[in-house]
Order: sequence, then C-alpha cells, then structure tokens
Amino acid sequence: MLSEQTKQNIEQAFHRSLRASLVRAPDDVCAIAPASGPGPGGQPGEILLVVTISSFVFRLLTLFQVGADPATRAYYVSGAQQSLDEAFREFANMCCGALNRELAEQIPHLAMSIPYTLSSQCLAYLGELRPSFLSSSAVTINDSVRLHVTLCMCCSAAVDFVASAPPVAETTAGELEMF
Amino acid sequence: MRGDPTTYGNEAAPRGALQRTRRSGPTARADLTDTGGGPPIAADVRADLLRQTQELAQEVARLKALAVAFERWHQDMISLMSQNRDMRGLGEDVASIVKQLIMLSLNAAIEAARAGESARGFVVVAAEVRSLSLRAQTLSKDLGKNLHRSDLTTTATFQDIQAGGKLMLAAISGLESMVRQLRARIE
Repeated sequence: MLSEQTKQNIEQAFHRSLRASLVRAPDDVCAIAPASGPGPGGQPGEILLVVTISSFVFRLLTLFQVGADPATRAYYVSGAQQSLDEAFREFANMCCGALNRELAEQIPHLAMSIPYTLSSQCLAYLGELRPSFLSSSAVTINDSVRLHVTLCMCCSAAVDFVASAPPVAETTAGELEMF
Repeated sequence: MRGDPTTYGNEAAPRGALQRTRRSGPTARADLTDTGGGPPIAADVRADLLRQTQELAQEVARLKALAVAFERWHQDMISLMSQNRDMRGLGEDVASIVKQLIMLSLNAAIEAARAGESARGFVVVAAEVRSLSLRAQTLSKDLGKNLHRSDLTTTATFQDIQAGGKLMLAAISGLESMVRQLRARIE
C-alpha cells in the first residue's frame, strides 16, 4: 500500500514539521535521530500526546512521548499554572498542522483531530492498529530536551506522496541529524 | 503505483475528487450550455436540467445532516473514553489492594512459621492466600494491559471519526458550491 519512497517522503515531511514546530525560538537546535521504536514508556509524569490526520483511505497517527524531567518542563511550560500536558498540546497541534498542510498539497480531503493524552504504556499496542508504516525518532532540542516521536500510518488503499521540499540527507544510525 | 486508479495522493493538481470534478466542470458545463455555435438549448431541456439540479441541491442539503450523526458519534466516543478512564482508575485501585494483599499474606506466612507446630494449619491457609493474591496480581496486570490497549484503539477510532467527520463535511460543502455554480450557469 505504501512504497518505500512514499514512507520516506512522509517521514521527511514529519521531520520538517517537527523542526519547524517543536522549538520555541528559531535559533534553537533540533536534532532528530532514527530510533528502533518508541521510548520505553511508563516513566513517572511522562505523557503521550496523540493527534490523527485522516483521509478517506488512511489515518496517520502522530504520537509525542514527552518526559516530565526538569529540562523538558522548563522548555515547554511557560507558567506555574500550566501543566506539561496543556503546554505541549499547542506544540503537537502546530506540528501536525504543518504536516497536514504539506500532505494536503498532494493528497485530497485531509482533516486533523484534536490532541488527546494517553499513558505512554499504550505505545506497546500500536500493532493492534495494523499499521502499514511505523517510524520512531528521538528528538533532542538544544542538547537538553529529549522526546520520542512515532508515526503510525494505517492504509486501506495505496497512497502515494512525493516530497515537496528538497530531501534532507539522512544520517546513519546513531548519529544526530542537526538543523 | 502512480497512475494506478486506486492510488490516493500525488495528484497532478491539488485537491482530488471535488477538484477533479471541478477541473472537468467547464467541459461538463460546455455540454450543458455551450452548443458550439449550434441552436440554443431547448426550453424544455433547460427546465429539465434545472429540475435535476434542484433535486441534486436538495440531496446535498440532506447530506449536510450528517453533521448531526457525527456529533452523536462524537458524544458517544467521549462517553466511551470517559468510561475507559474510570475503568483505568478502578484497575489502579484493584492493583493497590492486590499489592497490600500480597504483603499481608507474606506477613501471615512468617507469623504462622514463627508460631511453630501449633499453627501448622494456618501455614497452609497463609500459603493459599499468598497463592491467590499472586494470581490476583497477574490478573490485575493483565487488566491494566488490556485497558492500555483499549485506550489506544478507542482514541485512534475517536480521532479518526473526529477528523473523518470534518473532511466529509468539507467535501459536502464543496459539492454544494459546485451545484450552486452549475445551477447559476443553466439559469
């Protein structure tokens, strides 16, 4: 249902949206490295935010696994009254909005859900959704904020997507991709 | 895969079905109104076209009632998600009770062993209680896993319905606009 090229193009579009939306300042450094799967999950205070982009023939779940460590909290939470969950929803929403716009340039009839928070232990059951494509990455911002992101695409018909931006050279496993 | 009629995406021009129809629109409209220099469309044909367009517009208006169905599904899904949350809370309570039971049964076994020969029967009872509490712990963990699995599938379905509803309503609005344009053209 998905060619390797389409998988790669969708992943690259997601990485572009991560780089554009997960940083608070334009000169913050966002590094993305491939991961073998979602993070271990179940850490105290950790949240999992899910946003879905749907078309008539596929759904694309974007999952953001965000730890409650002091560096991550300090980066995303702007006020004492705000929870990490509330703060990160805005970033997840912007990120998926950017991905949605890029996909919509070529794929008709797309719409996006609102973000929803789950336990990160739910990640162990992504296989239940019978995905056509699963991809996880480790994101590091300014060498201090770390989160895991996962794309889970479930298709009921063939989908084709060509990258609209010039492809970014992928790094070898274990190396960080600096932007 | 490109060129395959079942393939979705990578359109030659953006925005699929409706836009594809729109792209073919001028041709369709030409068939209806532009007779290519021939005689104008007969009044009865025009009236028939208008009547059909009116019926189409009514059907599209009826389709807009889908929004009500989407809202109903949305509310049901919210209720289902809330039930899942409650069940997860109950599951955590059960897990906490089971943990305490295991500690209690362990203490009972230690006390029974200390009491010596006179508490031989109690040793057996304490061992049985411990065995039962360990089984309860396994069940409680399985319940927790099932709840996580259920949370993920429910959330994925909920979000798919939410986004799917938006895109269907947008498609119907596009259709409505096209029917309006077609009608104006015939008139």
